[in-house]
Amino acid sequence: MRHGLPKESPSAADHLGDMDLGLYVAASGMVAEQVRQDQLSNDLANASTPGYKPDESTQHSFGDVLLANTSGGPDVGSIDAGVALGKTYTNMTPGTMQETGEPLDFAISGSGFFAVKTAQGVRYTRDGQFTTSAQGVLTDTNGDPVLDQSGAEVKVGAKGQVSPGALGLFEVPGAVKQGENLYAGTSSGKPSGSVRQGALEGSGVDAAKIMVEMITSLRSFQSGQQAIQSIGQTLQEAASQVGSLNAGGG
Amino acid sequence: MLEGLYSAAAGMSAQQEQLDAIGNDLANASTTGYRSERVAFSDLLYNAVDIAGTETSAGAGASAQVVGRSQSQGSVRETGNPLNLAIEGEGYFQVKSASGQVGLTRDGDFGVDGSGNIVSAEGSQLVPPIKLPAGVSPGEVKIAPDGTVTAGKRTLGQIKLVSVASPDHLLAYGVGVLTPTAASGEPQATSGAKIHQGALEESNVDISKEMALMVSTQRAYQMSSSAIQTESQMMSIANQLRPS
Repeated sequence: MRHGLPKESPSAADHLGDMDLGLYVAASGMVAEQVRQDQLSNDLANASTPGYKPDESTQHSFGDVLLANTSGGPDVGSIDAGVALGKTYTNMTPGTMQETGEPLDFAISGSGFFAVKTAQGVRYTRDGQFTTSAQGVLTDTNGDPVLDQSGAEVKVGAKGQVSPGALGLFEVPGAVKQGENLYAGTSSGKPSGSVRQGALEGSGVDAAKIMVEMITSLRSFQSGQQAIQSIGQTLQEAASQVGSLNAGGG
Repeated sequence: MLEGLYSAAAGMSAQQEQLDAIGNDLANASTTGYRSERVAFSDLLYNAVDIAGTETSAGAGASAQVVGRSQSQGSVRETGNPLNLAIEGEGYFQVKSASGQVGLTRDGDFGVDGSGNIVSAEGSQLVPPIKLPAGVSPGEVKIAPDGTVTAGKRTLGQIKLVSVASPDHLLAYGVGVLTPTAASGEPQATSGAKIHQGALEESNVDISKEMALMVSTQRAYQMSSSAIQTESQMMSIANQLRPS
């Protein structure tokens, strides 16, 4: 749905000439690259966060907007100006397993989430780096109790051990990131994953890929800036020279 | 766009936290009874972005903190000293310093003070205290795996091992002694662990693992730093826009 400027505002093309439209397209492209860069910085910052899943965004190019309008939509003539980041989705591909040997480190191999009871309600996480409360309850590192399959708290045995089977595993379609390694959502269906003890799921950030994307994004941003410069120059000539008696050296 | 600068900076300081923990672990690679630190990373809040038709969210970086200690057993090194004790399994020696502070330690490098009490390397007495009668030398003391201390046919007492509900919340205040806190729970008698006389538990720091972690931490630090550079470059490009 995110094609260019919001639908409520009149289409830029309605009252602007083509040249101005180009300015808006280039500027919105620059804004989209800025936001993408912020997401990439966040991904890199989380290169060591257990169970972290990188954000991926598609970008609607100007060409995509045109195509979207020719295939069954209104005529190409009434497009909105601009480029926008498409829907951001979280790449849930399981990360690599890192053996830690710690009895309270757990990793999910395959799909699924652990559930924790926070003050805001049940939240889900793939970060299985757990600890114990003074009451002997298994908690995440924020102190929120980890839940079993029936939604009850998990007790830690006298030797500080928890069997991996005691932890609940939930499938959460369309889970939304909340920060603190937590996801919000509603669990439904059966997860295919299984719980492993003594390991953590590494961050899903592919550093090399993100660095490349960062450079690509930077260069697209730069092209946007140069497009604006050129259109600006053209407009400047149109404003100062067209209609001038001396125009064209005549 | 300044958000990205700050999230990259947050990423750098999270990696710095990890580097500090590695530094601490490496410095204690030979400290008897030392346990390496567990560092937890987490992402931060996600801000909604709604600008020029782009409606998405961008995270605010990462944070890291030490959340406890590794629970893996350090290797047991024979020393032959009859008052060197290593714990095999979960548990701690309970000691009381001269100022009355009760603490837990896995450093079993004990000795005898001027009045015959068995004391830790820092001079803290065991809880409950065990005193060698006059004329008994440390060499005659036998300590059974369950902690019973005997000299010849005489039983002098029992070294009681304790544990807490949440060892991750014990507070370290140096000299290898951990203090119970409200979050860790009170020390309780524990069974199952064995005392090994004439040996010490070495630090459980795995140097090769720490070195590998140090390399990956430095790389992650570098990457967040190049994210800052890229963000800065973008701002400089935007700054070059001016009316022609």
